[in-house]
Amino acid sequence: MISCRNLTRRFGDFTAVDQLNLEVDKGAICAFLGPNGAGKSTTVKMMTGLLAPTSGEVRVCGLDPTAAGLELKRRIGVLPEDLGLFDDLTVEEHLLLTGDIYGVSRADTKSRTAQLLHALSLEHGRRTFAAACSHGMRKKTAFAMALLPNPQVLFLDEPFEAVDPVTAKIMRELLQSVARHGVAVFLTSHILSMVERIATQIVMIRKGKVVWNSTVGELPQSLEDHYFDLVETPVVEELEWLGPSRS
Amino acid sequence: MARPIAILKALGTAYRRDWTALQSLTGNNFFLLTLFLLQQAGIFVYLIMGLVLLFPLSTDPLRKIPPSRLALWPLTRREHWILRVASPWINPITWILAAGAIWTAGRTVSAGLWVVVAGLFVVAFALSHVPTPGRTPMWRRVPGIPGALDQLVRKNLREILSTLDFYCAAILSLSVLAWRLFGPPLPREAFMAMTVLTVGALSSYAQCLFGLDGEGGLSRYRLLPVRGWQLLLAKDAAYLMALLPLALPLAPLPALGGALMVLAVGHAPSVEHPSEQTRWRFTMGGALGNGVVQMIALAMTVSSIFSMTLWFLAPAAAIWAGSVWWYGRALERAM
Repeated sequence: MISCRNLTRRFGDFTAVDQLNLEVDKGAICAFLGPNGAGKSTTVKMMTGLLAPTSGEVRVCGLDPTAAGLELKRRIGVLPEDLGLFDDLTVEEHLLLTGDIYGVSRADTKSRTAQLLHALSLEHGRRTFAAACSHGMRKKTAFAMALLPNPQVLFLDEPFEAVDPVTAKIMRELLQSVARHGVAVFLTSHILSMVERIATQIVMIRKGKVVWNSTVGELPQSLEDHYFDLVETPVVEELEWLGPSRS
Repeated sequence: MARPIAILKALGTAYRRDWTALQSLTGNNFFLLTLFLLQQAGIFVYLIMGLVLLFPLSTDPLRKIPPSRLALWPLTRREHWILRVASPWINPITWILAAGAIWTAGRTVSAGLWVVVAGLFVVAFALSHVPTPGRTPMWRRVPGIPGALDQLVRKNLREILSTLDFYCAAILSLSVLAWRLFGPPLPREAFMAMTVLTVGALSSYAQCLFGLDGEGGLSRYRLLPVRGWQLLLAKDAAYLMALLPLALPLAPLPALGGALMVLAVGHAPSVEHPSEQTRWRFTMGGALGNGVVQMIALAMTVSSIFSMTLWFLAPAAAIWAGSVWWYGRALERAM
């Protein structure tokens, strides 16, 4: 469903994504991991047609995102980095808008909206304007918008950040359910424990280059240890101004 | 005193950065139109603009601090009182009113006007503390239209209703309505002039149709499977839904023709040079040239339809449709 061949994106002298090769199959949940600034969002933008590659090739649902933008947009669901919400629409109106624009019938839109609002505990805030929503509510609204048109591929940029544990679990189960129905899920996340539970494929990127690509079963150690070994090692500094330890 | 002074300094900085209201006035077509064309009669229009501006400018500066933050800071009761008393003086309107009051002391003719203005200021200041009843403010309760663009049109209409341009046009329209109901008959030409003024009051908004969508909104436009012309159509439909009710006491069909021309000219800066706008301010159009072209096209179209024949509506509609198609394609390329 997603295929990248030598995908490269440069911004002037800076190479954000460098010769990236990747395949994601139908029904797979691919976690795309890396530190901030590694090139994750740039890759997602190229896959969703928001950014043209400098060189290389990307195909999603067999389509070139740059050439077949509109056709591709009808087949994918996206939870973008900035969530892409309108301040002047309520949570419910965002979902109705999605149904209208993606050609879902009014009756189906209403029933899917009701189900998603219920599943994501958004019912109480359905008439809250996006501008007045908490970050978690905004994230859940954008997530519901991505799911509502029943896309063939889901792109989710950090879906689990800023949501409560119960909602995170519900989101995880919803994603596993859509994957069982053949939807390819491509997500980025920094919450490694959640990734370890949900992903079927792990791709790690560092300074624009893929440094690991395998199924979860092929990881030689725990995801967190492998990530720290391959991608970045945390350095903890003592804050001297805290004074001597009292414990 | 150190803590209140530090807070007042920060508030002053925040207030200065937000002081876009007067800047926005100078980039507004309506201001330019009255400045260059109306001369003496412009004073009446400036009074309307001033009244519309007074309300958002009168808000309490202390409200810039989130209440939870203010509650968490280690301030004594005395320090809270100092902030309460000193913070209104960060707002330049307070100083302008105080200077006006001193200047008019002893001038019986204008002191009353100052009292009225000061009263309005106090009302607006107090109103900014009154919690809005219900969850949805009145200006956000707007009807939709049938069709796939329903929610987009609704959103766009809410955006227009959060600019001062709309309220300025509404005051002009309502003053004509009141005159027609209670005053002597107006000369026929007055309707044409007031139609040009009312559509002109909303014309700068047509140059920055995407100015209130924010980064999130623009990002969503890029993801939605819709054509550029559909996005422009949703913007224009909302614009006409806001404007046409205001044109009913004036000359509705010439207003429609003028609005179509204003939109046709406004698509170019909206798409090619999008500029971010601030809510509850007058909108700032693009380059001066765009505003001049808009106003000339508006005046010519309104006067042609009003004085000659309704058939001039047809070329206005054709030019508008062509502009939607052309700049719709440009919008897709820009996104």
